[in-house]
Amino acid sequence: MSSERDPGAEASLTRREALVKITSGGTALLLASCGMSPRRAPAANGSTLLSSYVDPGGVGVLEIGDGIPLLDRQELAPRALPGVVLCTIAHLTDVHVLDEQSPARVPFLRRLGAPFNSTFRPQEAFTAHVLAGAVRAIGRLAPNAVIQGGDLIDNAQGNELELALELLRGGPVDPASGGRGYVGVQVASNPDPLYYRPDLDAPRHPGILAASTRRFTSTPLSVPWHPVLGDHDILVQGVLAPSKITREIALGTRAIWDLPAHLRIPGELTDAAITAASSSPDGLAAPAVVGQLIQAASKAPAVTVPADPARRELDVAEVLARLRATSGSGGAGERMDYSFDVGSNVRVIVLDLVRREGGSGGLVHGEQRRWLAHELARAGRRWRLLASHQPLTSSEGGEALLALLDRDPRVLAAIWGHTHRNRIIPRPTRAGGYWLIATCSLIDYPQELRALRVRETAGGGAALETWMIDHVPDGEIGDVSRELSYLDSQGGRPQAFQGGRLDRNVRLFKAAPSGD
Amino acid sequence: MLATAAVVGYGLHTGFQRSARGADLPNVIARFDRQPLSRVAPRIEALPDLAAFAFRLEVTNVDLIGGAHRSREGVVEVLSPGRRGFDLLAGRELSVRPGEAIVEQGVARSWGLRLGSRLLLDGLGALRVVGIAESPDNVAFPLAAPRIYLSRPALDARFGVERDPQVNVAELWLKDPRQLDQVLGQARASSYGLRGLRVITRDGVRVLLDQAAGIVIALLVALSAIALLTAAVMLGASARAEVERRLAGIGVRRAIGAGRAHIALTHAVEAAIVSIPAGGLGVGVGYLVARGPSDRLLEAINELPPGVGLLAPLAGCWALTALIPVLASGWPALRASRRPPIALMRGAELGGRRGGRSLLGRVRLGGNLVGLAALGARLVSARRVRLLATLAVLGVSVGFILLMLALASELNTLQSDPGSLGKRYQLTASLPAAAVPQVRRLSGIAAVAPRYEVQALDSFSLGETIDLIGYPGDHTIFEAPPLVSGHRLGSDSGAEVGRGLAQVLGLRPGSTVAVELPSGHEARFRVAGIVDSLQHDGRVVYVSSRALLASEPSAQEQLAVRLSAGASPVAVTRRLAALGAKPKATGGATDRGRSLIAALTAILRAVAIVDGLVCIYALIQALFLTARERRSTIAVLRACGADAGAVRVLLGGAAVAAVAPAALIGVLLERFVLGPAMARLAIGYASLELSAGSGEIAAVLAGLAVLAAAAVLWVARQAGREPIVVALS
Repeated sequence: MSSERDPGAEASLTRREALVKITSGGTALLLASCGMSPRRAPAANGSTLLSSYVDPGGVGVLEIGDGIPLLDRQELAPRALPGVVLCTIAHLTDVHVLDEQSPARVPFLRRLGAPFNSTFRPQEAFTAHVLAGAVRAIGRLAPNAVIQGGDLIDNAQGNELELALELLRGGPVDPASGGRGYVGVQVASNPDPLYYRPDLDAPRHPGILAASTRRFTSTPLSVPWHPVLGDHDILVQGVLAPSKITREIALGTRAIWDLPAHLRIPGELTDAAITAASSSPDGLAAPAVVGQLIQAASKAPAVTVPADPARRELDVAEVLARLRATSGSGGAGERMDYSFDVGSNVRVIVLDLVRREGGSGGLVHGEQRRWLAHELARAGRRWRLLASHQPLTSSEGGEALLALLDRDPRVLAAIWGHTHRNRIIPRPTRAGGYWLIATCSLIDYPQELRALRVRETAGGGAALETWMIDHVPDGEIGDVSRELSYLDSQGGRPQAFQGGRLDRNVRLFKAAPSGD
Repeated sequence: MLATAAVVGYGLHTGFQRSARGADLPNVIARFDRQPLSRVAPRIEALPDLAAFAFRLEVTNVDLIGGAHRSREGVVEVLSPGRRGFDLLAGRELSVRPGEAIVEQGVARSWGLRLGSRLLLDGLGALRVVGIAESPDNVAFPLAAPRIYLSRPALDARFGVERDPQVNVAELWLKDPRQLDQVLGQARASSYGLRGLRVITRDGVRVLLDQAAGIVIALLVALSAIALLTAAVMLGASARAEVERRLAGIGVRRAIGAGRAHIALTHAVEAAIVSIPAGGLGVGVGYLVARGPSDRLLEAINELPPGVGLLAPLAGCWALTALIPVLASGWPALRASRRPPIALMRGAELGGRRGGRSLLGRVRLGGNLVGLAALGARLVSARRVRLLATLAVLGVSVGFILLMLALASELNTLQSDPGSLGKRYQLTASLPAAAVPQVRRLSGIAAVAPRYEVQALDSFSLGETIDLIGYPGDHTIFEAPPLVSGHRLGSDSGAEVGRGLAQVLGLRPGSTVAVELPSGHEARFRVAGIVDSLQHDGRVVYVSSRALLASEPSAQEQLAVRLSAGASPVAVTRRLAALGAKPKATGGATDRGRSLIAALTAILRAVAIVDGLVCIYALIQALFLTARERRSTIAVLRACGADAGAVRVLLGGAAVAAVAPAALIGVLLERFVLGPAMARLAIGYASLELSAGSGEIAAVLAGLAVLAAAAVLWVARQAGREPIVVALS
């Protein structure tokens, strides 16, 4: 049993808080009547129950707005009084810590639009600081466990993984690569206006690139965390299995910033085809296509950047080993399929759907169906949460796994990332149904993680309370990253990655299993 | 004068905002080469801060016939549904029925089109004019090509619905225009593949117009200040003389118990009875004089006249013209009534030093006429402060008149003289670079070289468009705008930058200028020198053709042809045409802006005329006051046998004492103060030679002499009408 505070109570008030609010409300009213508006501060713990980032006028500028209370969703079960908290979990996914200065990147593809949007982002030099802010927010939430939902890094590079793990471990962190200072596509001296250059372009943030490569100290993640493997963790650009040519490029000094004149994009890469083939914005489904592009681009005029041996592309075993070693979790074997309990009433089953041969879409492997059936059976009377990186709904073979979950009355939810968007859909079944929950990324807007709190309800059912948490920056860089991700016209804002009201702060009810 | 300044100044200052508001002008207008709507729309929709957007297909060089007029340079704007970005001055919106058009007001005015008129459009046949529109995103016809608007749904109804229509203009309205930079940045980041992209912002248009209008407004404000000063000094002196004349009356009224305030009030009311209708008349005349040229100027730049918005400034002018005489009369009366009634009844002077020495006190009276003239000069110079004020008013007025004439001449020169742009070639020929040897062999040609030009955007501030010009080798053979600082172009990485652009972007020799080319690529050049160029308001960059073609291989190519001394342009044009070229004579800076220049010149000349009226007013006042104050002296002369001619000589001497130094002051002021100051104001465009020529000076001096003679005749006639006995009493 847990004695954690009720999340609904975060929105309720003590007498002192009420007085403070009345006073501050009066002051705000007074200032507003004088034509001034008070500047609000975001919630210190990043909880969107207390405050949220809003753009009330739709002008492209984020402000601190009111908190968003939990909204009851009763598609699967009627509302019931939430009781004892069984556990709290933070779902942190698609962080994409990356080495922007790496010659292995293909940022020039972004100008072609979808499906290459993710090859460059205006805010991508700041991923380390965003993860540090997310860890800070998790510390203030103090959950029982953290699910690191995959795509912790972006390009399967050793220095990316080392940086991400350093951030989770806490302590001094060095985000620089290839020597001190910043040498990447966003430097002011790069004459290509299709890249955002913070020293020159609006919104101007002179010096922030240099600041982003300086050493800083990260708060350690002080709760147990459990990794889920994502496509970007082991595949180049989340698509391509590392090869001799990609390894040479990563360790070399030839970076390609400008779209090669002779590059021809294969005709099959239409937007419609991509959308159908992959539900993720972060990579192509077809590795062969990316392979061709990289091959062609490797002959293009290049910029010389400092080499860094730490950029070595890792093989799968090495990634799994380092994730397991640092987290102390993650199972064993060639695939990262495992389960763990959070408290005595909740079991999380983790599935590894990443294609080893390349391709960003999920794939259910031969043994996984049987393994999942076994795990579900083994879980007894515990509530089950299933975690994967790619959505089961779009993964090859995913329907078979969903069929297993459909039959189990104690499955509460299946949780994933990969799509970079918040989405919560009920999946009604004869066994009572469960919730399909997608969490947004920390690299694209809205740069949030998700809190999940399982509570008992009267009559033996359960309520899954979930709300979004903003990363809590320590300094300017995190806020700038959020601002840029919001402005990005190829990013999360125009694609509505933040989801609707029903996809964010909600209380999801599940009826008691009929056998109970 | 005040009303003239108010009409022109207010109209120009508020014209753009008023028109932009009326037309719902977009914050951003992006033009690009034709694209299917489906390629552009998603990129626009994804931009932040977007309140609305609309697309157009702009078709240029269309054959357009309206009434007896025809243009092969017509512009047809095919409007998709949504906000439209122009103001409907008359008529109605386009419906979905085919055969309807809205025409721009410049076209309607010039071609005499009205609602219901017929237009013939190449390919579409007859169209009926259903509306007349105005949009300040461009100057009006004939400064720009004639423009009409058609409805895409109407074209779809006639020709069938196009599934993915072509567009080449996107109009963007922002929720918060302060976020414009961010929006432009995002637009640029997602603009890949849009060739020929040119972005114009509402603020960019306004800044340009404000800069142009600013010079005229500065002139008018200065002239208004002079007019006000003149009026205050003269009215004050006049009122003082009037009070002096009525001192005995004031003494009597004080003796019978009238209060000081009452006396001051009486004088103020008497002044008001005259000044209110006179001020109203003056304001009305000023309004009528200035309204025509001002409205024509505004129409030429597609802006709306202020209409009733002018009422407030004109009412202010009226109040000011009424108030100054009231104060100028009331105050001396109040001061005079402070004295004891007996002193006043004895005819005491109204304060100030008595028996002050004349500035011409040492002038000895010589022969009869000369002596009379010298006496006149002594009389006018006895009131030193008034003489100095008169000199100041006349001098400054003369200076301004000279300045405006110089400015008008300069504008006329710019209109027709390519040399004013630093251009040394007289013809251009649409031939490839390979034809240079062939052209060079033609007689009458001194030099020929390929000239490349491309319109680019400043990479850091997308609202600015830049003309990028490239020559192989030494470009100064063909274009040599004066070098202001730095040095001439010496390498492929260098550039000579126009002063207008340098000022906007803060460039100096050694800086880097970054331009975004239509291909979407960026080119950077190190600034070698800053040059004075009037082309595109100085927003011009000269680079080597090799560097230009490396970044933009599709740059427009033509041959620049410099004629030999004495060669006939007509003959050379014929020879070039025989080679298959389409030779074109090189125009001046304002070649296409004849109407605009004409309107500006008309305004400047109108203001000069009003300024001339100020001169004559100041002169008459000075002479009239002198004659009134010295009426006893004049009466003595007349009693001694002096005829009207002698009085005119006396007053002529007074006039010369005021006019001669004032003319000198005016000429020096224009040459050494006003001309250089105005050139500095216009420095964003180029170095202007604003010194008045000897012809202009002679004309102004002659005009001044005529005015002085007229003033002398009028005042002498007035003085001669007074009986000698009355004047001596």
